[in-house]
Amino acid sequence: MNLNDEQRREIYENLLFARRFEETVLEAYESGGVPELPHLSIGQEAVGVGATYALSEDDWIAPSLRTRAPILMRVPLKEVTAGMYGTVSGPSEGRTTQHHMGSTEHGILGTTGMVGSHLNAAVGAGLSSRQLGDDRVSAVFFGDGATTRGEFHTALNYAAVEDLPVVFIIENNGWTEETPIEQVTAVEEDLIEFAGHDLPSSVVDGQDADEVLAATSEAVDRAREGNGPTLLEMKTYRYRPHAEVIQERRDEAEIKRWKQRDPVKIYRDRLLDDGVVDEAWLEDLDASLREEIEASFEFAQNDPAPPEETMYHVYKDVEVDRDGGVVR
Amino acid sequence: MSEHTVRESINRALAEELERDERVFLYGEDVGDYGGLYQVTDGLQDRFGEERVFDTPLSETTLGGTAVGAALTGTRPVVEIMFGDFMAIIADQITNFAAKMYFNYGDGTGVPMVVRTTYGAGDQFGLHHSQSPIGWFQNVPGIKIVAPSTPHDYKGLLKASIRDDDPVIFLENKLRYEDEGEVPDGEYTVPLCRSERKRKGEDVTVVAIGGMVDVAMEAAERLEADGVDAEVIDPRTVVPLDKEPIFDSVRKTHRLVIVHEAATFGGFGGEIAAEVAEEALFYLDAPIERVGAPFTPVPFAENLEEAYLPDEEDVIEAVQNTLGR
Ligand SMILES: Cc1ncc(C[n+]2csc(CCOP(=O)(O)OP(=O)(O)O)c2C)c(N)n1
Ligand SMILES: [Mg+2]
Repeated sequence: MNLNDEQRREIYENLLFARRFEETVLEAYESGGVPELPHLSIGQEAVGVGATYALSEDDWIAPSLRTRAPILMRVPLKEVTAGMYGTVSGPSEGRTTQHHMGSTEHGILGTTGMVGSHLNAAVGAGLSSRQLGDDRVSAVFFGDGATTRGEFHTALNYAAVEDLPVVFIIENNGWTEETPIEQVTAVEEDLIEFAGHDLPSSVVDGQDADEVLAATSEAVDRAREGNGPTLLEMKTYRYRPHAEVIQERRDEAEIKRWKQRDPVKIYRDRLLDDGVVDEAWLEDLDASLREEIEASFEFAQNDPAPPEETMYHVYKDVEVDRDGGVVR
Repeated sequence: MSEHTVRESINRALAEELERDERVFLYGEDVGDYGGLYQVTDGLQDRFGEERVFDTPLSETTLGGTAVGAALTGTRPVVEIMFGDFMAIIADQITNFAAKMYFNYGDGTGVPMVVRTTYGAGDQFGLHHSQSPIGWFQNVPGIKIVAPSTPHDYKGLLKASIRDDDPVIFLENKLRYEDEGEVPDGEYTVPLCRSERKRKGEDVTVVAIGGMVDVAMEAAERLEADGVDAEVIDPRTVVPLDKEPIFDSVRKTHRLVIVHEAATFGGFGGEIAAEVAEEALFYLDAPIERVGAPFTPVPFAENLEEAYLPDEEDVIEAVQNTLGR
């Protein structure tokens, strides 16, 4: 994929947008609380941004608990922020947390809190694509931890057997909650060794949005041409603990080492070196993103709590009362 | 006696059983070095080593399946499932395997495994980290379901569960880990399959489960100020159920209220109500009242979650209904 300057600026905007958004979430959480416990992806932005950029707008995205950038790229910001506050303007009007959101309109497959249970659902989106002949590709994001579930194997196998248009993207940040992934996986080096199935796979530098974009584009093309799934392992790192309540126990030096390959900085430096942007442009962008993000928090903080009837939204085609009885 | 939290009581129960019986081992996601998401297994790996207390890959099927296999072959595994919601994932291993092997073997082989898990709403953790899974398993013969309510019972029931030769689901209420209470300093167990009367009363029987026992007890205190004398029964082991004390109590008070956290419809309260209707219907002076959650997933927004969770007010209202007030 050959990028023009405008596209490169757009990628950077998305990286910085995700970064600033989550920094703001963290500030808000630390200063007064955000009802949804933040599971921040700071440090992993290039994976989501690069991969989403490789997809077309109506391709499906099946996010993991930590896949934030793709959601921010597709869903109006106020809706996402309100989702973290559980107010009426959130994606489910406060019924559920933002990080499980589903939206047919925005091509986001709703998900569950069972890590890895969405892999086969993403393969199912591939089945729909084939049945409907609509050429939509399904991109599923998941952490390294999910590769130790049977779901991973069954989803890869079935997608490969059926040549379904699925791109499997491992967000390998080296840790599954408080356990280092190498402690619980019997691979030599890379998780793609697990695959062993008849499908192409590769390891990608997940801190470099251009690398992510290139690898994902190739996989998307393959899928769209009817040549089946691809497994991509993005090597990345989260700067924050698994979730904000959890004690950090990773090595200080490890965190520091990864911060030296910061995805936002890598991209900014490259754009500066290539003369695609200048300092003034960067400053303007940062200021306007901060303003937009601040506004979304102000909006969410003033957005009303949902009325009680909002939660009686359980069946689509029949009215059921709070005691589980059919209303006639 | 000394004061301990629920968390400490569970931790001490595990430590004592690991100490007592070398066939016992403890494993799950992050239970080793980290000490478990809720820090319940804190320090146990240091004390008993990585062969007795260890981390696993993120796979509840691995945990459930290997625990069944280990329990069938001479050890006594204790598994931690981080959230009760994930019990849906190991439901196959529990319902089709663990619960049925004693029935399936002809030589008395049992399945001495314990699956500890957390349950319950109130933390704004949303629809997949807040459920109360009793209803998912109550109709499965062969499994024991234990839901303690005090630090004393958490400790004694967990020790008894580990020594039990049947598979046990041991339910820990997330909101109760910090609760404190008197716990004996010496060795003791609390028998499985025995309910306990937590409060003696004459006017109404309140059967409450797990985290709702405290809610019922507090409601009973407030009712007393109103001149209503409530008896509170805690089944402690939900399945199989120690029914007689409930029947006896209802024959005495002539009124029954059942309180649990999961949805009322299809919930365990319905089973108790049906049992009492069969055994003691004509002793009842008022329709049975059930207090539970509405028939929806657990909502995330603070006000919705509050509306969802049963509280003292709900219990008091139900009791007043049985008294025709
Ligand atoms: C089926 C299941 N088991 C356990 C958990 C608890 N849990 C939530 S996230 C997580 C670790 C996930 O690690 P990984 O897949 O690498 O994603 P990351 O958090 O690193 O992005 C665990 C164990 C869960 N949510 N679902
Ligand atoms: Mg990870």
